[in-house]
Amino acid sequence: MTDTLVRKIIHCDCDCFFAAVEMRDDPSLSNIPLAIGGSSDRRGVISTCNYPARKFGIHSAMATAHAMKLCPSLTVIPGNMEKYRQASAAIMAIYADYTDQIEPLSLDEAYLDVTGSTLKDGSATLIAQEIRQRVVEQVGITISAGVAPNKFVAKIASDWHKPDGLCVITPNQLEAFVLQLPVKKIYGVGKVTTAKLLQMGIETCADLRTFSMAQLVDRFGRFGKRLYELSRGIDDRPVRTSRERKSISVEHTFATDLPDLACCLEKLPVMLTELAQRFEKHAEQREVAGAVIKLKFSDFTQTTVEQSASECPLALYQHLCQEAWFRGKKAVRLIGVGYRLQPKNSQQAVQLTLID
Amino acid sequence: MKFVISREALIKPLQLVAGVVERRQTLPVLSNILLVAEGDQLSMTGTDLEVELVGRVQLDEPAEAGSITVPARKLMDICKSLPDSAQIELTLTGQKMVIKAGRSRFTLSTLPAAEFPNVEDSPESFELNVLQSQLRHLIDQTGFSMAQQDVRYYLNGMLLEITENSLRAVSTDGHRLATSVAEVDTKGPANHQFIVPRKGILELARLLQSGDEQVKLVVGANHIRAHAGDFTFTSKLVDGKFPDYQRVIPQGGDKFMLGTRQELRQVFSRIAILSNEKYRGVRLSLTNGYLQVMANNPEQEEAEETVAVDYEGDTLEIGFNVNYLLDVLSIVSSEVVRFTLADSNSSALIEGLDDANSLYVVMPMRM
Repeated sequence: MTDTLVRKIIHCDCDCFFAAVEMRDDPSLSNIPLAIGGSSDRRGVISTCNYPARKFGIHSAMATAHAMKLCPSLTVIPGNMEKYRQASAAIMAIYADYTDQIEPLSLDEAYLDVTGSTLKDGSATLIAQEIRQRVVEQVGITISAGVAPNKFVAKIASDWHKPDGLCVITPNQLEAFVLQLPVKKIYGVGKVTTAKLLQMGIETCADLRTFSMAQLVDRFGRFGKRLYELSRGIDDRPVRTSRERKSISVEHTFATDLPDLACCLEKLPVMLTELAQRFEKHAEQREVAGAVIKLKFSDFTQTTVEQSASECPLALYQHLCQEAWFRGKKAVRLIGVGYRLQPKNSQQAVQLTLID
Repeated sequence: MKFVISREALIKPLQLVAGVVERRQTLPVLSNILLVAEGDQLSMTGTDLEVELVGRVQLDEPAEAGSITVPARKLMDICKSLPDSAQIELTLTGQKMVIKAGRSRFTLSTLPAAEFPNVEDSPESFELNVLQSQLRHLIDQTGFSMAQQDVRYYLNGMLLEITENSLRAVSTDGHRLATSVAEVDTKGPANHQFIVPRKGILELARLLQSGDEQVKLVVGANHIRAHAGDFTFTSKLVDGKFPDYQRVIPQGGDKFMLGTRQELRQVFSRIAILSNEKYRGVRLSLTNGYLQVMANNPEQEEAEETVAVDYEGDTLEIGFNVNYLLDVLSIVSSEVVRFTLADSNSSALIEGLDDANSLYVVMPMRM
């Protein structure tokens, strides 16, 4: 181990990206509650909303109809993906001026590894400042950035002074920052895990540290090891320039609920065709390792069923769909079908079949 | 309802009947067993709606007649925990079943007997008497190849085929197949095929004794019923078309390897340790007089062993899931086994040299 291993990671995250692009192009939208998403009469969902809308409790993935209830004056406009893609490409081009170690997480979010950079005297803080300034000037939207020695803390930091903020956690501040961190800020700790942790008397990473790795693994499985490490500010995940896809899926929310299982099964063939088409692009690097089906019922509860399989015929999805449906036995508003993927390995053995 | 029974008389049939009851149930009454006392006989029934098992026990003293259902697992756990020599008294008091033995006393909840579902009967089409040991042997020889939770639901069971004076069992999971045949008295020409679900086969096998007692099989359109001693077993049949096993048995093999079963089994078990944990592939390389077996895993660890076998011919390299080979080698009773092979993409036929009744087909792996 040498101290040259201290890394400098910047996490850049656009502030309400889709909404920001729309507000840039039509400033009259800037100060009113605005959301991008499907319309409520077609049972759309919100994909992004601006800060005035967030004050009403609106957030992404919320049904538009519900959002309209929270804020009747909400302006909902359909998204323009092409425009967002262009804006995203322009932002990524700015990042590329500083490092080639870029890991895009989505159109509006990316990790940059600037370890060893000589630009700006090697100061990640100055690089982040300049990136933020250039994005405002050249693309016309604001981004927030977090600078830290690893991805875990960088991501939390970018959210710290959002919107239009910069938060730097130096290696010296890392310990204090992590100690006071509420566990629910850890990526992957949702409602259920938070409740479980609370039950154990754990609210912050400092609390987490009082538990041994064995205790956490016993309670949380593999995620326990991660909790153990993260609570100590340890995160060695590298910035991956080419992201490996772990799954691929097709989802559809239906204009009217599907009343029964038969109607759900009827929708599968078309969705699977679309899934197969979408997979083609990735077929060279990835192979299918399993089938996943997701059903969201009329009452918004959802369930997923998955099975590992190297081939995923319609019959398998019918089987999984049936299993999923029986968990709710209700009308269905959304179906998702997907493949679990794994790296293709030409060395890997293939069991030949006796009977198809 | 009231009766007294010794722990010794109760425990074995109770365990068999309770074995049918699934741990997780949708219907509360399905986690119960039905107790019916009449005269000096007690009958116990467990069901999961697919498989039903009725066990009958003789009582020393006539019972106060009655019928009721009680939680299967709790009753079994209570009876198991009592001393070997215990006399157990069961009395239905109101809606509770009171169990007394020595100074122990238990009160179990009940559900009315009327709520207990019985597996519907279908008109029977034919009967067959076979030795319990014969049927048990057929199941043992082939059962391991049944699929588990395959979407091709008809593979999650065993095909039984009855032709004149012969009873054949076939199971396959799509990668390998096992079949075994026994000579039986069908009292004339016969031609029946039906699929018994996996759970039915496993429960039936638990019931069968190794001696020379008979089991009477009664097969209907949708059910099979087996009468064996004090037990009556009923299973739904799987409605589906089983693959034609005859087409799957390879005919074109021209390469023969003879080896000692135990020796091969030991070699494969050793090499298996370093095969890929998920795919379980091993490479076989056959040359005159020798079989070399090799495996490696993603950690780049390797195992390799050479064993003398009876083989003459071209060199052949072929890969297999080692578990499939071990399953066969564990069940065959002959001292010497024969592998019949064609090429690295074609199935292997495996037989015990002294047993013409059982055949095993294993598809290779491409590796």
